[in-house]
Amino acid sequence: MIKKTAVILGAVLVPFASIAAEVPITGTVESRCIIQTDTAGTFGNPNAYTLTTTAADGGDAAVVRYDVSLADAYYAEITPPTQFSSSPSLPDAVTWTGSVSVKTVSDATGMGSYETDKLEVGATDRYDLTATGSTWFAIEAEATMGGNKAFAGGTYTAVAEAVCIAK
Amino acid sequence: MKMLKYFIVGIMLALPVQAHEMVPTYPRLEQSHMDGLLKTTMKMFNKRADVEYYEIGVFDKDFKPIPFVTAYNVFKLEYLGHVTFDIYIRAQDKNRAVYICSKSKLRKDNDTKTAISSKICSKFKDR
Repeated sequence: MIKKTAVILGAVLVPFASIAAEVPITGTVESRCIIQTDTAGTFGNPNAYTLTTTAADGGDAAVVRYDVSLADAYYAEITPPTQFSSSPSLPDAVTWTGSVSVKTVSDATGMGSYETDKLEVGATDRYDLTATGSTWFAIEAEATMGGNKAFAGGTYTAVAEAVCIAK
Repeated sequence: MKMLKYFIVGIMLALPVQAHEMVPTYPRLEQSHMDGLLKTTMKMFNKRADVEYYEIGVFDKDFKPIPFVTAYNVFKLEYLGHVTFDIYIRAQDKNRAVYICSKSKLRKDNDTKTAISSKICSKFKDR
């Protein structure tokens, strides 16, 4: 009786065992541009009327990393903030200054000229990503309240834009 | 000095990062199941914990918007989530459409003081 049950169970379970053994894991490798936000950045407040990401003034530059897996196929366009996306009420107009620069590269030979070759179009800096690998860009911003008026207490948020465009 | 540079790059690569990616880089338009509509399929991956929503757009060479249809223009994509979506454009816009872009949508209550909006634009093949 036991032998018979074991044979029946075996016959029933064998097909399931073979199904369980065939779980496919598939993946596709294709060229891509990935934008990674390493550091969101913070504003320091060195005086009543200035908010800045300068480290010496207590701020942190935003850092964004681009990973590209195909050479000479993408542009990076980065725009520092030009306005607050949320803030307490502003007593006067705010003047913005900002800059973008290459912070670190994974291939010093292929990417060494990124900074010198960049194109500035208005507030936006365009980099030609001619080599594969990773590039870190630092985004600095400074907001100055008009008439040296003080920023009101509260949280100020400004948005930088990082764009990767296929050529 | 070179070793130090590799060490710094290694440390930076090892740090937790938040990424936005969309493929393919060069999508192809193909005939859809409806006359007069062309279709392409895109895939996205969200590794940005601070972003839940993305907006899709189709643009010409000057980044002027082109009419298109997809399931949701703005859709929710959870952290570490993948999504595959179809985009339909009119056959008459075939030669005008150049870019498909996905843009992260940041919440207004984001409590960081500077935020980064990411946008990735793929380009239609042979444009």
